[in-house]
Amino acid sequence: MFLRLTLSSALLAAGLTGATGSTAGSTETAGTAGAAEAVRAAAGSAGAARAAQAAPGSQPSCSSPYRIDKTLPNGARWQLCWEMRTIEGLTLTDVTYTPDGGEPTGVLRSTALAQIHVPYDSGEPRFHDIGTIGDDAIALKSADCPGGERRSQFVCVTTRARGHGYMKSDGEGVSTSVQGTDLVVFAAFQLGWYTYLVEWAFGDDGAITPRIGATGSLSGFTTTPGYGWPIGVGSTKFEESHNHNVFWRLDFDIEGSRGDVVEQYDFAGSGTSKRKLVKTVFDEETKAVNGRMRWWRVVDSGVRNADRHPVSWEINNLASAEYRGPADEAFTRADLYVTDYRACERLASTNPTPGCGKSLDRYVADGKRLTDPVVWVNVGFHHVARDEDADPMPTHWQGFRITPRDVTAKNPS
Amino acid sequence: MRRARIMMAFAVAGATAVVGVLSLVPGETGSQAAQSVARPPSPGDPLTGDEVTRAGRIASATWRSHMTTGRAELLYVERDDDKAAGERRRADAYIYDYRTDRLVVRTVDLARGEVVEERTGRGVQPPPSRGEETAAAELLLADPKYGGRVRAAHLKAGGRPLVSAADLGLRALTFTPRPGDRVAGACEVHRCVRLFVRLPDGSWLDTSRIVVDLSAKKILTLEW
Repeated sequence: MFLRLTLSSALLAAGLTGATGSTAGSTETAGTAGAAEAVRAAAGSAGAARAAQAAPGSQPSCSSPYRIDKTLPNGARWQLCWEMRTIEGLTLTDVTYTPDGGEPTGVLRSTALAQIHVPYDSGEPRFHDIGTIGDDAIALKSADCPGGERRSQFVCVTTRARGHGYMKSDGEGVSTSVQGTDLVVFAAFQLGWYTYLVEWAFGDDGAITPRIGATGSLSGFTTTPGYGWPIGVGSTKFEESHNHNVFWRLDFDIEGSRGDVVEQYDFAGSGTSKRKLVKTVFDEETKAVNGRMRWWRVVDSGVRNADRHPVSWEINNLASAEYRGPADEAFTRADLYVTDYRACERLASTNPTPGCGKSLDRYVADGKRLTDPVVWVNVGFHHVARDEDADPMPTHWQGFRITPRDVTAKNPS
Repeated sequence: MRRARIMMAFAVAGATAVVGVLSLVPGETGSQAAQSVARPPSPGDPLTGDEVTRAGRIASATWRSHMTTGRAELLYVERDDDKAAGERRRADAYIYDYRTDRLVVRTVDLARGEVVEERTGRGVQPPPSRGEETAAAELLLADPKYGGRVRAAHLKAGGRPLVSAADLGLRALTFTPRPGDRVAGACEVHRCVRLFVRLPDGSWLDTSRIVVDLSAKKILTLEW
């Protein structure tokens, strides 16, 4: 994988191919002070020049069976490593995306679950389900991993159709369409009565969809009608409603840890005919809440696509119940947190390392200046049981989307 | 909580001096243990079973007497993936000291064969280990109020008497008290867990109000 180009090598690359010509030579100054300016040359060009700039250690740092390297039917390639950690369970590292004919782009240094917080509606009990989740991984059977490959019993690597990549009619009744494919990496964990399916889908369009499915059995906790729903015959047993507040930790490293910046986008003008883009750059550790048209991105202005736009990954579609807990669970009171990288900050709550904050709200409390941002996403699901949840309980899913924004200069599908 | 970050450099000498310590150390059956392979692991590979065993042995070298008496426990060993460590193979050993209710996390540099960092703190509760899970179940079974109930439920569900905690499907989670908890306030500092108990017919006992205080070896019943 090739990391940043110095400006001179970028110019050389452009000159060697003529593909980008003078436009590459007039590249914008990189926005990050002190960072090497860089331009990603047009797809497929100047490979030799860029190979000379390859950064050491930029290949996925693992070997078989922990290395996943999959080229999807449209040519998109995903490379990553997996590890089953005792506390966090399935953890993915060194995630790299290569669009068809393009250059590899490092996306995530690591990502894993950071908590599954399960408070019940009557106020008790309240669980922090991340324990030694890695010890609770379920050995997968062949049928649990359809069309895929099981790694060390516990991890499934497979592909799955994701519907229309695009469809377009030429106006004469002739249409062109493409079906998309996801690479899916998942593991299943038995935590009490719940079976949690933990998966990441890596699309052939460059998108990443982390999600978790809860299945298995209902808890069987019964409560009064105000806090539950009648299950079984009649209205005598009310299964207690509860939330699953799932947190993910995402250490984005776009082509290395240097130069990553987190931005928030809003569109002002509610109640008027106009919508004006409002960009907020997060310079310091912070927290943020969802908004209907709000999204965030992690951008590295030192890494550009062929259109000279900075490469970024957008976080959106946080379809969350937005659970807000009591004061002693302040970590639930935001939907997205940005912290500066600290190895000891691993979980959103009940963090297990001495000398480190105990929960997300404490991590951001000192408002430290961001140099290597880590993004934490909180997606809640409020589960009000229904008769259909009778054993085995159907899977209910929650998650979010990470989509490429200006990683390629055109539709990568 | 005391926050300490102490750079240490224990000599590897003596790390293998005590016989019988292996029973205290997570072995290759640990979920994160990489498959045993002839080639050396790549920097990003999970710890191998051998590395887990070796890191546990090095980290607990000065704790053996306390571990054999049950006053301290090596909970588990995780791969240390601190960016600052680069490609060095390092492991974090989680040790709980029941004498002082302190968590000790020792980072072992596997190439150097020594502890290179130690963090300690009170009131920091990592997830319970399998050993603690079993210890909690044994305390529950020994409890005059709950032990009989668990045995009766097991007999009813499985048609046979319960012999030991190993007959139960167990799952323990860290318990942290809410502010003002009158029953389990000690769990701010003590090592406390909630235990889920699965019976032979696949059903779960409702143990949500029960907390096992492993530090005090007591069963607590929450009020709510």
